[in-house]
Amino acid sequence: MNKEEILSKVKDAFVSVLEHENFQLTDETTADDVDGWESITHMMIITEVEKAFHIKFKLMDLMNMNNVGDLVNAITSEIQ
Amino acid sequence: MKFVKQLQESIEKHADHNVLCIHNTFYTYRDFAVEVSKIRAAIASNVEPQEKLIGLVTNDDLQTYASIVALWLEGKAYVPVNPVAPIERNHKIFELTETNYVIDSSERSIYIDYHVIASKKLADTEVNLNSRQMSGDQLAYILFTSGTTGLPKGVPITFDNVQGLVNAIDAEPEFNLVPSDRCLQMFELTFDFSVVTYLFPLLAGSCMYTIPKGAIKYFYIFKLIKEQRLTVLTMVPSIINYLRPYFPEINAPDVRYCSFGGGALHSDIAKEWSDCLPNCKIFNYYGPTEFTVYSGFYPYHKETHQKAHNGIIAIGTPQKDTLYLVVNENNEEVPIHETGELCLAGPQITPGYWKNEERNAQSFFTREENGAAIRYYKTGDLCFKDEEGDFLYVGRADFQVKIRGYRVELAEIEFHAKATSEKKVNMVALDIMNNLGNAELGLAIESDEFDTSEIFDYMKTKMPDYMIPGHVRFIKEFPHSINGKINRKELKTYFDIN
Repeated sequence: MNKEEILSKVKDAFVSVLEHENFQLTDETTADDVDGWESITHMMIITEVEKAFHIKFKLMDLMNMNNVGDLVNAITSEIQ
Repeated sequence: MKFVKQLQESIEKHADHNVLCIHNTFYTYRDFAVEVSKIRAAIASNVEPQEKLIGLVTNDDLQTYASIVALWLEGKAYVPVNPVAPIERNHKIFELTETNYVIDSSERSIYIDYHVIASKKLADTEVNLNSRQMSGDQLAYILFTSGTTGLPKGVPITFDNVQGLVNAIDAEPEFNLVPSDRCLQMFELTFDFSVVTYLFPLLAGSCMYTIPKGAIKYFYIFKLIKEQRLTVLTMVPSIINYLRPYFPEINAPDVRYCSFGGGALHSDIAKEWSDCLPNCKIFNYYGPTEFTVYSGFYPYHKETHQKAHNGIIAIGTPQKDTLYLVVNENNEEVPIHETGELCLAGPQITPGYWKNEERNAQSFFTREENGAAIRYYKTGDLCFKDEEGDFLYVGRADFQVKIRGYRVELAEIEFHAKATSEKKVNMVALDIMNNLGNAELGLAIESDEFDTSEIFDYMKTKMPDYMIPGHVRFIKEFPHSINGKINRKELKTYFDIN
């Protein structure tokens, strides 16, 4: 799976949790840039992403996840 | 004021120690003393002496913490407003307290209608931490909580109240902070729990670690525990709910104390959490804003101290100089084991809600005890006392509802609903008015839809039929109030039963 495909599945997860599409996801996107992305929805997004890719993140990966780029990197290393 | 003097001594004595870690930057008590001195000098030269209530924009920086101490040294109170709260609400708070001066460390302050002290742009001055003369009945802070009428409700706390809190914690041999402690400070400064998470570390010369605004709190807390090897945690129970799926990955031997407060602590999760902290004492604290943060605690231990009612850990005994009283509707004491409303008396009791006589008449009463008139605050929490003198939490008085004439404790329904469910999800029982004006029970489940027949079969073996919820709604994400508590009122709107 290439980066675009990953990013598109990640976007689906965001849309299903946040219930809107008013955002762009790039490597640098953080919670500050997306309406409704905060502590509670973050957990739900993580769960959606885990389901979509059939992976399970480690707490160590999650604690250093500061932007969408970190999320995509963590997914990439899990699905390899 | 003794504790303000102790703050001065601690700041001077621990000059080389770190006081704060904010966004990976460390500040020493010396840095802190410089900022405190600059801010107090600005207060002394700008603020009219009769102005006692000063606004404080609660940014996550050294200056904001220094402002609290600076105001206290000058004998003034802070009125904190959260920079991310709606500006209208913050204006309302300043209007209610007739605040004219605002300390703001923001790059550009939006409080243009007030005299702003820009605490990041002050000139250097000589360090001076001597406190002015003040009397104990002067205010140290006013916090606003959401009021039922929609208007925020002000809770003023005096210097004597804070001294009462400090005396009680000092008297507790089980809890002693030391200068080498690294303490979590996860709370917004408009939330009263923050008072214990900045005041006790400052008095001990310990270092506080804050959570940057916008960070995912529970993950950042774990990061601090792991990378900064925190030794003292003070948290609301909901934090560990989020971390629960990852407990097997958490082992934090450095943590000495973990205090919970601000919500019910459930025994199943407490036990699992305690396995993550092998060298830690766990305290289940209880106390309302109106009683200066803490009024007492239960020392939880997964093997020896696990007293609970409906799965909620006991709140234990009152701390030094605090009195607990459980009363019925007529404010009369009820016998042991009987549930009633918990009332608190002692030096930490607020002088009363800010300019709200009607509310004060409802929430406070005076009782003759041994010839003295003792003033009690009615907490709205239902409790009972057991034969060992421990108090057990039953639920909120407003969560006790009447269904078909029976008194029903919503917490009890939640307990049984969750007991058998394999899915560790949040469930909240609610009373919903039908169009006949009668209350019916609803169960809100924070999850995608799933089959609940097993849960209901189990509940039917534990509770009479009038306690079995007649309506179920699955809600992806529960609405929360600004302090992270579940917004029950809004949850009810999901139940359109008529």
